[in-house]
Amino acid sequence: MSAPSQDNAINAGSLTRILIYTLLIFFVIYYLLPLWVMVSNSLKTLDEIRGGDMLAPPKDITFEPWRQAWSQTQIGVEATGLKPYFFNSIIMVVPAVFLSTFLGALNGYVMTKWEFPGVNLIFGLMLLACFIPFQIVLIPMARILGMLGLAGTLGGLIMVHTVYGLGFTTLFFRNYYAAFPTELVRAAQIDGASFFQVFWRILIPSSGPIIVVTIIWQFTNVWNDFLFGASFSSYDSTPITVALNNLVNSSTGVKEYNVHFAGAILTALPTLIVYIVSGRYFVRGLMAGAVKG
Amino acid sequence: MASLTIDKLIKSFGAVDVLKGIDLDIEDGGFLVLVGPSGCGKSTLLNCIAGLEKTTSGEIRIGDRNVEGLHPSKRDIAMVFQSYALYPNMTVRGNISFGMEIRGVDKVEQEKAIQEVADILQIGDLLDRKPSQLSGGQRQRVAMGRALVRHPQVFLFDEPLSNLDAKLRVDMRTEIKRLHSRMGTTIVYVTHDQIEALTLATKIAVLEAGYLQQAGTPDEIYNDPSNMFVADFMGSPSMNLIDGMLLERDGALEIEIESHGGAKITLPAPDTTEMRSFVGKPVVFGIRPEAMTDPDGADRTSPQIETRDCFIEVSQPAGSDTFALTPLGGKECIARLRADARIELGAFAPISFNMTKAVFFDPTTTNRIR
Repeated sequence: MSAPSQDNAINAGSLTRILIYTLLIFFVIYYLLPLWVMVSNSLKTLDEIRGGDMLAPPKDITFEPWRQAWSQTQIGVEATGLKPYFFNSIIMVVPAVFLSTFLGALNGYVMTKWEFPGVNLIFGLMLLACFIPFQIVLIPMARILGMLGLAGTLGGLIMVHTVYGLGFTTLFFRNYYAAFPTELVRAAQIDGASFFQVFWRILIPSSGPIIVVTIIWQFTNVWNDFLFGASFSSYDSTPITVALNNLVNSSTGVKEYNVHFAGAILTALPTLIVYIVSGRYFVRGLMAGAVKG
Repeated sequence: MASLTIDKLIKSFGAVDVLKGIDLDIEDGGFLVLVGPSGCGKSTLLNCIAGLEKTTSGEIRIGDRNVEGLHPSKRDIAMVFQSYALYPNMTVRGNISFGMEIRGVDKVEQEKAIQEVADILQIGDLLDRKPSQLSGGQRQRVAMGRALVRHPQVFLFDEPLSNLDAKLRVDMRTEIKRLHSRMGTTIVYVTHDQIEALTLATKIAVLEAGYLQQAGTPDEIYNDPSNMFVADFMGSPSMNLIDGMLLERDGALEIEIESHGGAKITLPAPDTTEMRSFVGKPVVFGIRPEAMTDPDGADRTSPQIETRDCFIEVSQPAGSDTFALTPLGGKECIARLRADARIELGAFAPISFNMTKAVFFDPTTTNRIR
């Protein structure tokens, strides 16, 4: 027998290596370019943007556009900056994320460990919520919010996001708990634990990865939502995505691109941070849920 | 402690009857083993006793109390699961005390109870570990500890040893037996391992296809099976079930069995009224491998040893014994010889049948002819 060949993919010629790295570096630059443009231009003065190259780094760095975007620029009729809208979004996102995660966990628990006739039908119908285009629910939802007296309030937005998040959160938790040994639930029942004691004491403490996945997913979706925000908010409950749109689309005066860039980064920042902090759990958690369905 | 009585128990899942009318009881302090092949309904029966499955009809009584409709936690039982079902997020201590915590037992009392079972099971140094940090045998102990700490009327074990390796299984079997004699609590134990059943039980219930085939002491089940299923299922290697013909010669009954190459051997059969009704008809002759042996190894205390020449086809030395395969009644039958018995393959050798251990079955109903 001859010696094993060295000519496999891993030890391919250095030319191939160079090609692979060149390609990878090219794509990294390609993907990071928009971020670069946003960051660098948000640190330039308006004159510099008008006069020069979009891709060039700022000549003298100024944080004035950020200050402007955060608290001074004109949005709608008042010069408040994005700050109040940022807090609107926080007030909306936090309860919506926790409610939909909690209810999704409860749904998943009931659907896997307390099966009842028709459970698969109900699960199927809930999954539908993941796939319906939200445009078709706008009018009925507006009607229901009106009937509940929640129209134009943050409470109304929290409700809408909770309801439409349930499809995905239920899917996540159902699949996760389907792989969770039923014998544990039975053991707890024999120990005398009630329905909610089993949930709180046995299931929730073992649900770390899937809770992280659900929170990231919901946080990103609810924070980034524009359609519901634009449709169901009023003057004092506008989320930041809608406010950003108002800022960028204002037709009076000069277009302050540097402020727009800073505002866009401010708007995107929370989801970015959430993803960077817990992204690896996200991937891991998705795997955990994916094994058994 | 209490007895357990099961009365005409039926359990259906939709249109499928899993348990078809089970009558069974075990006295206070007894060790009942439910044994049978996969899917025979033994685990379902255990879950019905535990209250984890609703019964369709029939009655289960623990002591004098009908437990119908009672929540599992109110039945005064404790269960050890096949997968141990230890709460992964709690320490060993937390696992053992969880039930007491739910029932609101006070802290001092809890700690005392934990120490007590930790001493019995020698898991004192594991109390602060998580289940994932334990070996299979240790998890098994913790699972038993969680059951013991309740001081229940009845312990339920659902195939507790099937996830352990062979050596540990034997150790834990001994341990469970020791625990039982020490605590004296009634135990219901599910297994598919007939050796476990024979070694542990004071009473064995053999289930098949939702029916109780036979219930009795290990000795009754092994030596006095009531049908061919029980005879075949219990014992390893299993009982030889040999097709033969019952004949009457000179007023005595005998069974004629086809041997090698069309030759026939005859063996005496017990003379009872029921046996007489089968004269001239085919019957199944059942004999355990250890009751078919070389003449020197035959049981000298047995009053009825019959030696016949049998053709030896294959021999399988197994260390302590040598198993010999011989064709009888058109099937390979296993004889259990002494380890150093001299046998020649492809030749006739004398085999001694211990006829006091022989049993007869009706081939059409598979029931025992007594």
